[in-house]
Amino acid sequence: MTATIRERVQRIKTMPAIPAVFLPLLKLLARDEVEVEEVVRLVSYDSAIAAQCLRVASSPLFAMSQPPKSIKGAVMSLGLRRVETIILTCCLGQAFPSKKWALDPIVFWKHSLGCAMVCRKISEKLAGADREKAYTAGLMHDIGFMVNCMVFSKEFAPVMERACREEIPLHEVEQATMGFTHCESGRALAEKWALADDLVEVISHHHTVENSQKAQPLVALVHLSDLLCRMRGMGYGYYERRKVDLIADPAWAILQQEYHDLEGMDLARFTFELDEAVEETHTLVSMVFGPAPATSEI
Amino acid sequence: MTISLQPARAQPSASTGGETADPLYRQIRDLVYKVSGIYKVEEKLYLLADACGRRMKQVGMRTLREYWDRLTASSNRDAELRELLNEITIGETCLFRSQPQLDALRKVILPELAADKTKQITKRLRIWSAGCSTGEESYTLAMNMLEESDRLLKDWTIEIIATDLNDRSVEAAKAGIYGDYALRNTTDFYKRKYFTMVDEKKLRVRPEVKKLVTFSRLNLQDDSRMLFMKGMDLIFCCNVLIYFDGASKSKVISHFFSNLVYGGYFFLGTSESLMNLNDQFHLVHFPGTIAYWKPSLSSGKL
Repeated sequence: MTATIRERVQRIKTMPAIPAVFLPLLKLLARDEVEVEEVVRLVSYDSAIAAQCLRVASSPLFAMSQPPKSIKGAVMSLGLRRVETIILTCCLGQAFPSKKWALDPIVFWKHSLGCAMVCRKISEKLAGADREKAYTAGLMHDIGFMVNCMVFSKEFAPVMERACREEIPLHEVEQATMGFTHCESGRALAEKWALADDLVEVISHHHTVENSQKAQPLVALVHLSDLLCRMRGMGYGYYERRKVDLIADPAWAILQQEYHDLEGMDLARFTFELDEAVEETHTLVSMVFGPAPATSEI
Repeated sequence: MTISLQPARAQPSASTGGETADPLYRQIRDLVYKVSGIYKVEEKLYLLADACGRRMKQVGMRTLREYWDRLTASSNRDAELRELLNEITIGETCLFRSQPQLDALRKVILPELAADKTKQITKRLRIWSAGCSTGEESYTLAMNMLEESDRLLKDWTIEIIATDLNDRSVEAAKAGIYGDYALRNTTDFYKRKYFTMVDEKKLRVRPEVKKLVTFSRLNLQDDSRMLFMKGMDLIFCCNVLIYFDGASKSKVISHFFSNLVYGGYFFLGTSESLMNLNDQFHLVHFPGTIAYWKPSLSSGKL
């Protein structure tokens, strides 16, 4: 089955409407050291994306009080890595389907952005955690659904329908009816895009944390954030009949082993605080999907 | 019979925005959380600001700074905090107050409890509405259980034990008469099925709903009586513990823990939490709501 998935994913030429700067940007992100100029030059090829980045940078999620005037200005105040994640967010947001997806793209992006944000918020509480890496991992973890909507639309449509009807998790229905999940199809796309190893690991194992070989704490973080999102109104747009015991989840122990400060976290309060972030995420989604503003000086 | 009660909505007297800009509101929010476990999110901060405003008016204070000092530095700060908590939770009582809690109950918890109890001979469900005030929560639970009585709870005995410290509340609860404001979240379906009309403005709960609920007076700090509240499958205690100091709160919570059966659940108000006062309960998430779970013996997670 995996071979078939790979084959079919290989045949995708480009994702619909993903800006041309996206793949070169991903290559930059995988490197340890990047010059500011490289990023600025790359983005300057696409003024619509650049303008949108500046708008998004001023959203409360990215905590800029003054909207930046240029990409360089944004890098100065937010740091290069934060700006890279913003550009990535905008690029992925352009991946809008030409035909109808079984999973509503707005719902999908709200979940992805929500998860990105929750990953970052948790990692802010953990000394030594890489927040931008956490954000990127959360943003990308479900790219397999894009593949399923585009390449396996015939197989995936009834999966979505049954999950909604029976109010059960999507990946369980995928496994039961298609024989593979968005984790496998996501992995194929991640490999095609040559994403960094830890991101491939997150995409492949966020539902099977114990099976991950590398970057296990990051995979665990995404797994927990994903569950929290689904329990706090940033899921896949339907009621999931389930109880989630995060602290008893093996992923919690894995994360705690790496970051001891997790133990002191007030999970109830964190949950309430997330509800504030839900609003921010919705605003951000409409910003990313809103019409590109008039091109300004980049 | 036509029942056309106008939906009444809670009206905040202040709008969001400028009114909550003062950073002192966030300090008050944190203080309230530390003392009570109630957390007002950013969009609900205006409710906190409103409550502070009403208290400031009552005590004749002009600035928030003065009021902050009253809350933190004055000799009657504990009394003031209590008054403020009163203002914060005022008007939160209504029927069908938290749909996510009811969904969790009917879609996740009842199927789980029903599966656990299939082997038992007597199928009995015991629910305790602790601090039931004027009965809104208790009757809401009763109506929801009745909705399941042909399905999940077929042939089950359902007991809802509702207690409150205040005699007058208990009397009002027994009467079971509610106006527009208390019924603002109640759909026509429930109004028609489970209420009769008293007059144009008021509805009374039907006898078959009342039959499920037993009201009585109980002080949660009365240790000897608390020992007799055993065998609960579910406990609801909304906006009550917020008034207790740390030590009493811990004690009441451990009573609740031992009063619950293994696998039972404890629910608080929608923005309320136990903070880190108890490490026996598991904090669990359901869509849109949290609860505290006493792990079942079979789960091996004690």
